[in-house]
Amino acid sequence: MEFGSVLNALILGLSIASIWLIAALGLTIIYGAAGVINMAHGALIMLGAYSAYMLQHYVGVPYLLCIPASFVIVAVVGLILERGLIQYLYNRPLDTLLATYGVALVLVQGVRLIFGSDPKYLAVPEIFSSSFMIGSVSISTFRVIVLAVTALLVFGIWVLFYKTRFGVQVRAVMQNKEMAASFGINASRVYMLTFALGAGLAGVAGSLFGVLNIVLPTMGDSYVVQAFLMVVVGGGSLAGTIIASFASGELQSMFAFFTNDTFARFLIFVLIVVFLRFKPQGLFAKAGVRR
Amino acid sequence: MTTLLSFDNVSSYYGATQILRDFSFDLEKGQCVCVLGRNGVGKTTLMRTIMGLTDRSTGAIRINGEAIENKPPYQRAGYGIGYVPQGRGILSDFTVRENILLGTFARKDNAPDIPEICLRIFPYLRENLERRAGLLSGGQKQQLAIARALAVGPQVLLLDEPTEGIQPNIVHEIGEILRMLNKELGISLILTEQHIKVARKLGDVFMMVDNGRVVARGPISEMTDELVERHMTI
Repeated sequence: MEFGSVLNALILGLSIASIWLIAALGLTIIYGAAGVINMAHGALIMLGAYSAYMLQHYVGVPYLLCIPASFVIVAVVGLILERGLIQYLYNRPLDTLLATYGVALVLVQGVRLIFGSDPKYLAVPEIFSSSFMIGSVSISTFRVIVLAVTALLVFGIWVLFYKTRFGVQVRAVMQNKEMAASFGINASRVYMLTFALGAGLAGVAGSLFGVLNIVLPTMGDSYVVQAFLMVVVGGGSLAGTIIASFASGELQSMFAFFTNDTFARFLIFVLIVVFLRFKPQGLFAKAGVRR
Repeated sequence: MTTLLSFDNVSSYYGATQILRDFSFDLEKGQCVCVLGRNGVGKTTLMRTIMGLTDRSTGAIRINGEAIENKPPYQRAGYGIGYVPQGRGILSDFTVRENILLGTFARKDNAPDIPEICLRIFPYLRENLERRAGLLSGGQKQQLAIARALAVGPQVLLLDEPTEGIQPNIVHEIGEILRMLNKELGISLILTEQHIKVARKLGDVFMMVDNGRVVARGPISEMTDELVERHMTI
């Protein structure tokens, strides 16, 4: 076995990991902070891709600006969704699950009505569609962009949650809603903003996935399963999701190196099931009391 | 004397179960009222009703003459109420610093820093600001809970069993601190207490509660052994 190709597989694994992770970030935050299992996450990813497509196709916004713009647009959608529906369903996990699933169906059908079922494409600057070499390893430039955006988002989330007053508020509500309220924290506002943030992150993921794949109304479906697995394996915490994504990406890449891509994914899913059989609470189970 | 906090015929419920029944009292500025009674008579519910944490309440609750009974819990601390709940309610994943900072969120002046007094009276906390609060001992957690409530900049502290489960020498220390807060800083106290000695030392007035009602009240000097015997022994 050649050292260079193993290194290549490891680097490719890092790239796969960043895709697993960016798909799961928004879901993790919403689940971790508000305890909502957001089945509309995949549809929000899809909306992010269509937002980028619309801005690029009709307004002519440069692709790199479409990424933050998708964040804003989908965050606003998330805000409306939370104020209009989710806020009435906290503490009722089964109901939120069904309601968000319904929302996903509406969003997917709505987009299909407006844009049709034929695939759309996001154009990226010439330089992104190239690839470059590090030693004997060939890397697609766009995958490096995905990795960079993911790293930036993780850092941003960390700063927000651990270095700001808002972060203290979110973590206080996560641990003990009553005590947080007793000291002046409006949990409803915290939930609203975290939901918008999580939706916005799905939007960013969508604007990137729209380049990696074609843009379709159903494009979120495959990502949402993947994202859920990362959240469950990680135990619902940000650190857990990061580690789960990293491990899954690298393992998938290594398995693919020895077998093929389809079999690698199959193996990953089997491993996850086995892992959850022995550690159903995930990597880092939360100790705090939620509400 | 002016009235700081008052209850006027307040009833309070968990679901359909009524816990407080037509509860009325006035707390004067700078006063310490001791709420006494057996377990389960509604002492904690009284505290939670002030904070708005029960399912439902009726009647009027006023602070400085302003009605707060319809305010959501998160707005109530802003009226200058510092809550030290039973079991202390420390957020164990937070550091000592973050727990105290939690108290500052209710402040009207939006001061982001830990008020100096919190650390002055609890030197242990000053030296362990970055320690995870879950690792503290019971007495240290109680100090932290009081420091956090002080960070609100309170006019009144609600102290629910502050000496429960704390070793005797610390009980005395906490009693001294509460006395200082009350007598020197003029912070009013509502105190539920099982230690009759602590109650007698701190209290100006007492309320004996049974079955969600006030069954006896008056200056602390009128809290006779006979009264304690009748309402607090099982």
